[in-house]
Amino acid sequence: MIELKGVRKRYRGRYVLNGLSFTADKGNITCLIGMNGAGKSTVMKAIMGLVPVKEGQILVDGKPRGRWIYEKISFVPDHLTMPLSMKMSEGLTFMADFYASWNAERAAELMRFFRLEPSEKIGNLSKGTAAKYNLVLGLAPNSDYVLMDEPFSGIDLFSREMIADVFSSELIEERGVLLTTHEIGEVEHLIDKAVILQDGKAEMEFDCETMRSEEGKSIVDVMREVYSR
Amino acid sequence: MRTGGGWEEVEFNSREPVYLQVVRHFKEMIVAGKLEAGQVIPSRRELGTLLKINPNTAQRSYKEMEERKLIVTEGNSPSRITQDDAVLRAIRAELLGEAVDAFVSAVRKVDVPVEELLDLVKSKYIEALSSSPADDAVEGGAERP
Amino acid sequence: MRNYLKLLHMEIHRFRYILFALMGMTALVQMCAIAFNAMGEINERNVYFEQTGRAPEEFFAAMSYTRAVQETQFWFAVPVGLSIAVLVIYAFLIWYRDWFGRSTFAYRLLSLPSERRNIYFAKLTAILTFVFVLIGFQLLLMPIGRAIFAMIAPAHQLQPSYIADAIFANQAFKILLPRSFAEFFVNYGLGVISLLVLFASILLERSYRWLGIVYGLAYAGFCALLMVYPMLALGLDYSTGYFYTEEAYAIQMAIDALIVVSSVWLGLYLLKKKVSV
Repeated sequence: MIELKGVRKRYRGRYVLNGLSFTADKGNITCLIGMNGAGKSTVMKAIMGLVPVKEGQILVDGKPRGRWIYEKISFVPDHLTMPLSMKMSEGLTFMADFYASWNAERAAELMRFFRLEPSEKIGNLSKGTAAKYNLVLGLAPNSDYVLMDEPFSGIDLFSREMIADVFSSELIEERGVLLTTHEIGEVEHLIDKAVILQDGKAEMEFDCETMRSEEGKSIVDVMREVYSR
Repeated sequence: MRTGGGWEEVEFNSREPVYLQVVRHFKEMIVAGKLEAGQVIPSRRELGTLLKINPNTAQRSYKEMEERKLIVTEGNSPSRITQDDAVLRAIRAELLGEAVDAFVSAVRKVDVPVEELLDLVKSKYIEALSSSPADDAVEGGAERP
Repeated sequence: MRNYLKLLHMEIHRFRYILFALMGMTALVQMCAIAFNAMGEINERNVYFEQTGRAPEEFFAAMSYTRAVQETQFWFAVPVGLSIAVLVIYAFLIWYRDWFGRSTFAYRLLSLPSERRNIYFAKLTAILTFVFVLIGFQLLLMPIGRAIFAMIAPAHQLQPSYIADAIFANQAFKILLPRSFAEFFVNYGLGVISLLVLFASILLERSYRWLGIVYGLAYAGFCALLMVYPMLALGLDYSTGYFYTEEAYAIQMAIDALIVVSSVWLGLYLLKKKVSV
């Protein structure tokens, strides 16, 4: 389980995260929902140690985060993070070199699934292809958790469908997924838990099926309620 | 085991629990004859991929169906639709009952004698059946594709 | 250790085309300069012979590679200056290229399971490697230049040269390729310290952004002042100062060591705890 407790982070004078607490369980798909600038990406970066955090705790499986999480948590960012001059195959080799949890077979399988050509240069990829490649890099390792930052943003429809299929497949079975997205429509019926961010805090944190059966509300319904308060 | 043929057409609404909608879909398929008694159904994983739902949801719907005795899992073999006639009849009755309830409450507002209503229903029904011959329950008999 | 080497390999590999270009350019410019110089000299002698009918040896001193190097200093210095400029710029870019642009490699580097200090040392030693490769290459070019010179110059008019003398004939090389190890240590030591202070400043900026620029400049400025303090305050030539020469040197060394340690520590600390994408 990934757990945030009272996390505060300052950015340009204001507190982007202001006492944020929530959990994302292994085996579940948790979605962070929030308006632009609500701090969703910051949460991901904070968990990954890519930005320092002013206050609060970030625990993974009960222990404070540290360098050790990098074999347990994979990150799928919303933009390219590999050198543009590298070929996709070289990028895979790079990951294999550094990560003990790297699964080369799954990587090859994913490249096939997404129909990616390994010899292509990363700099030449279209936005949709780059997003798929990022998914390969994030899903190939035998990690327990996968963080995805806006996996659908700016992607063409068919690529989006392919990416959505990932959430129903065995690729994420038994893993904990934490994602952020604007496209609630794409994932409404795919996610287990929703966390709605507002003013740097978790305004609501709920199990989606429970919300549907007990209150007959969809995630979007809840969002509307929260943002109109 | 049949793939396709009803598995991808499910549109989920966002206000009802998805797993219950899956169960309902199964019931509809059974009643429509697309799923036979004793027929093998996709595994939990396969179901997730076919319906494009979260594996947890597939899991939950499985559990629900097992509890309702819709499906039967013996040991390690793949799950099958129940062969228990009582259950199958109950499902049929349930869905029919729901459809009729919905119809009745809609038509109650119109003041019409029962005979006329039944005649209308009969002719409309026959019309509907004959204009979609690709459907399973073709008039006259069970022509299973 | 293995991760450090992998990162070092990657840093060198990314820069290889530029490095080869610098080497190629240096070789081309310098060797052509030597060749043209030799040919020019021969031409002068021929002209003299044609005009006076007398043997050139009577008027001209023998052709010497050392002199040729001295005469072509400017052309020799151009690629060297360019290489230095490129390396200085790359000392910045080796960090910034991972943050800016379409792809932020920093995300990957900072989430590798290996220690972050490996990144720091890989970048540091990569720059140092480039410097020493270029130095080594320059040294290699000297005897090659002499051979080219010898090939062009007629044997009877050629005077042999020592490479060491040839190197010394170039003002820039007096500093960059010094004769004694002590000089080498001092000159390049200064360069290394500057690099370390630069890295610390860059990491201050990457940790605190706008405020970081201020911190970075302040840190660099402070270190610079500290470095020159012994020379200024204690007497530039040590003869008028309070301390013995050896003591003054020791103080200078101590200050240098302090700056090295603090810069490296600061860089590593920032990279581990404070840096941000």
